[in-house]
Amino acid sequence: MIKKNLSFYLLSLSLFGVTFVFPPVLAADSPELEPWFKKAVLIKSYQQSYDWLTPWEKLEIRTQTGMALVVSLNSTKIKNAEADLKQNLFLLTTAEIVADATLIEATRKDMRHPFQAELVLMDYAANLALLKIENSKFWDKLIPVEWSPAKSTAKTAENDIYSLKIKSAQEWEMESGTIKQMAIGHREVSDSWLPLLKLSGVTKSGQGFPILQDNETVGIVLENSAGGAKALPASKVLEFLEHASNDSYRSLSHRGFNWRRLPQRSAADFYKIPEEKPGVWISRVLPFGTGSDVLERGDYLTKIGKWKITHDGKIKHPEWGLSLFDLLFLDQLKVGDPLELEVIRKGKLILLETKVAAYEEYGRTVPLKKVGFAPKYVIQGGFLFQELSMNYLAMWGASWHSRAPTRLRLFLSQNETVMIHEKKTNYDNLTGSKAEEFTPRVVLVTQVIPDQINIGYQKLTNAVVLKINGLQIQRLKDVSDAFSKPDSEFHLIEFLPGSNRLSVVLPVDQIKQSNRRIQNNFRIPKLQSL
Amino acid sequence: MLHFKFKSFIWLICIWTVVQSPAFASQDKIEQSVFRITNYQQSPDWKSPWKMKPTSRGLGSGFLIQENLILTNAHVVSDSRMLLVNKISFPEPFLADVVAIAHDSDLALLKVRDAKFYHNLTPLELGGIPELRSRVRAYGYPMGGQELSRTEGVVSRIEFGTYVHPGIDSHLLIQTDSAINPGNSGGPVTQSGKAIGVAFQSNLRLNDVGYFIPVPLITRFLSDIEDGKYDGVPEIGVETSSLINKHYRRYLGLPEKTSGILVDRVAPHSSADGVILSGDVLTKIEDLPIDSAGMVNYGEQKVTFYIEAENRQIGDLLKIQVWRQGKFKNLTLTLKAPPFGAEMRNSYDELPEYLIFGGLVFIALNRNYIHSPGNITPSLAYEHWYRELERPRTRLDQAIIISRVLPSSVNSGYSSLQNFIVTTLNGKSINTLNDLDKMLKEMPKDTRHVVFGSEWQKMPLVLDFKKCLEQQKTILERYGILHASNLYDQQSRKSQ
Repeated sequence: MIKKNLSFYLLSLSLFGVTFVFPPVLAADSPELEPWFKKAVLIKSYQQSYDWLTPWEKLEIRTQTGMALVVSLNSTKIKNAEADLKQNLFLLTTAEIVADATLIEATRKDMRHPFQAELVLMDYAANLALLKIENSKFWDKLIPVEWSPAKSTAKTAENDIYSLKIKSAQEWEMESGTIKQMAIGHREVSDSWLPLLKLSGVTKSGQGFPILQDNETVGIVLENSAGGAKALPASKVLEFLEHASNDSYRSLSHRGFNWRRLPQRSAADFYKIPEEKPGVWISRVLPFGTGSDVLERGDYLTKIGKWKITHDGKIKHPEWGLSLFDLLFLDQLKVGDPLELEVIRKGKLILLETKVAAYEEYGRTVPLKKVGFAPKYVIQGGFLFQELSMNYLAMWGASWHSRAPTRLRLFLSQNETVMIHEKKTNYDNLTGSKAEEFTPRVVLVTQVIPDQINIGYQKLTNAVVLKINGLQIQRLKDVSDAFSKPDSEFHLIEFLPGSNRLSVVLPVDQIKQSNRRIQNNFRIPKLQSL
Repeated sequence: MLHFKFKSFIWLICIWTVVQSPAFASQDKIEQSVFRITNYQQSPDWKSPWKMKPTSRGLGSGFLIQENLILTNAHVVSDSRMLLVNKISFPEPFLADVVAIAHDSDLALLKVRDAKFYHNLTPLELGGIPELRSRVRAYGYPMGGQELSRTEGVVSRIEFGTYVHPGIDSHLLIQTDSAINPGNSGGPVTQSGKAIGVAFQSNLRLNDVGYFIPVPLITRFLSDIEDGKYDGVPEIGVETSSLINKHYRRYLGLPEKTSGILVDRVAPHSSADGVILSGDVLTKIEDLPIDSAGMVNYGEQKVTFYIEAENRQIGDLLKIQVWRQGKFKNLTLTLKAPPFGAEMRNSYDELPEYLIFGGLVFIALNRNYIHSPGNITPSLAYEHWYRELERPRTRLDQAIIISRVLPSSVNSGYSSLQNFIVTTLNGKSINTLNDLDKMLKEMPKDTRHVVFGSEWQKMPLVLDFKKCLEQQKTILERYGILHASNLYDQQSRKSQ
């Protein structure tokens, strides 16, 4: 591109002599805009999330706008994908745009009316979603985006990327920017790690917008905030598209451990790590993810496959140079790939064989944020029982980290001291739904809905339930079971010390009447949702 | 934590005065016996526990209560380096000393060094508990002027409430609608020419709400110190839940006309430990019936049943009736000091405990530290508040934390570490800072590493022992620290 510009400049000089001054910038050519009218569409979604404080209600409707890119899948095994969909085309956008959507509309630049889109697949951890549109007219002359790997800035000119800038439904433009770096981003709502192209300059692009480099599509924008835009690189999009049609698709590859760097030489001495062996210390092995089946806390990880790890957890990436080793799981390794891990365990160098594993979200005491699911709850005698979850904590707003009750936040620490249940089983041999079933949860009385049966208890809030009628409560389902088995004429509910009170009782013979009263009085559609 | 939230809205009032209706005794004599107190104070810097903060000047009030003793609030004279007392319309101050202080009930007694100070002064006589809605008068030296201020109001409420100065203690207090401003603390509240309380705090959230310490707590304090030392306000040591819910009363089988309050927890080492059981219903205290909210009759109103312990001394006996397993039982408690350690209460008049080794600053977790900005982390909160409740008797005598690191080559890589809760040294449990000091001093000289383990941190902290010893002096010199430690004997602290 630079060559082309230079030739143009030299030609201009020869034609017009020296009367022209230097051109302002030696910028790369702007990609053609028109082809994108056939590859990208505008998306508007109407979202309505559940109110986790009043779990039978929904919050106010809000709208989000963004873009979706036309993609084709390798196969069409996706359920409900109709044969008449032209060329197996789908729309790719971010999960955040379509999460909890009640209506999704897609609008082509050359058509006035929007088409209704439906969600086919969402990988919330990767922040990607696939949409389909039943009306075949929508797909007329649309062509899928072709994806290419992003190149590092060092190998390209400045202002080397472009994205779209949408002034109005009919006014599209290109804007230029730069890839600042390939970084590893932590997506807090799903506790997942993603490779992210950090961009500067592309101020107007929003979720789902394409990122172009040398006229090729190298990423899709996931978010754009004051700190700049972040895009998922093409390599991950391709992995998603490759596996999305597979029924067993869960998510992208992910590491199954936490690590720390050894702060100083004496720590390395203590762990009998030779000075010439750089690596990182495994501080926690997660229930799932790559390496979780073979690693132990205290292992010193020196190599992942052929890649040596530095003291600060980096590898020499073929494209991006020195990068955090997470990039391997996100960029170079794919789910199911065999993998060798080199570790020093108790002073001995050993090789561990494993397979690259996908991100999993189950097996957690406090479940991660869920979208598209109604909250679970049980109401008995006005006591509203709910499981502690990230959705519930998020009700304290953006700064829930500091505003949500301290004792509830402690359950996130995964520290054994603060846990209230014994670990029931070893999850290693369990598959997804099974592990989900066996994971103990924290059940709360989040509030007491006022009724004559619970006078004197109504100040109780966010109390951790230990037992009901003598039965340990480890899941919300246990609450219903325990209420069905009173061992006297009273239900006895016991709470974790530190709550407003340690126990309450409710008369068995009056609870049905009370439930009916509460349901009518407070217009609650269902007394439980499991 | 509840106490902490409450604290945000309650202010200690260094000088306030409520003026009373018509003058009774000699108003002039009262005014002569109310003084302005100036305290030049210096409190420790909890972030750098070897350092003191800059000196500040606090103003408060006090009044003559005996021939040569001035009663005021503990918070007026805390962390004092020099105390000055001024008489009304008399410019020259007199030097004074604290002769007794009760941080738990925010009271203190002062004595002026120069006997001439007391010439022609008449001590104020103590009255009793005022009636609700009766008028009271307060005297003091609030901000906004130099001379004595007199204000008037009525008694609007008599109940238990948190005393902000200690932070954790709740005692009887009397609420009035008289104007209360910073500087009023320690001044007398009078009625019919007698002192009926000491003004001490107000509520910033509400208009015209001020509080004074009533006479029973004052006389208890004066009686407590008769033997030359202050023992403190005793506490029963139970946590209770109301029995307002009729179904719960029926579940417990309480007789129809019996009321009471349910015992949820008996604090270890408390007055109730071994006498009252969790699950008991407290039905009477000193023959006074306890209602389902835990209140007993107190004059013309009701206050919590704890009042019966509050008005007594440590070692006194207290009669309690409980409903246990379908029967009434009459019990007698010997009253003890509150069952929590000094670390739960705001600390004054003493330097923080600390120990520096290898540039790591070890401190014992306490209320002052955890309430310093940014320190209420979930893990510290668990160690400070929740552990004892959830896992009784697993709490060590002190929760030791590395509050910060003084950067040096021996601790490189750890310099940004803070609030690291330490539970073991080379695999052995650490109970107190003194223990840690002893363990480090007794460590064999050929030890290669010191390994500080934590229940909260996945990775222990490892330092080279020999280098720690070598660099100790240099680190202290470099950071201008005179002493590597300030430690107290825990046994003597417990017995205090």
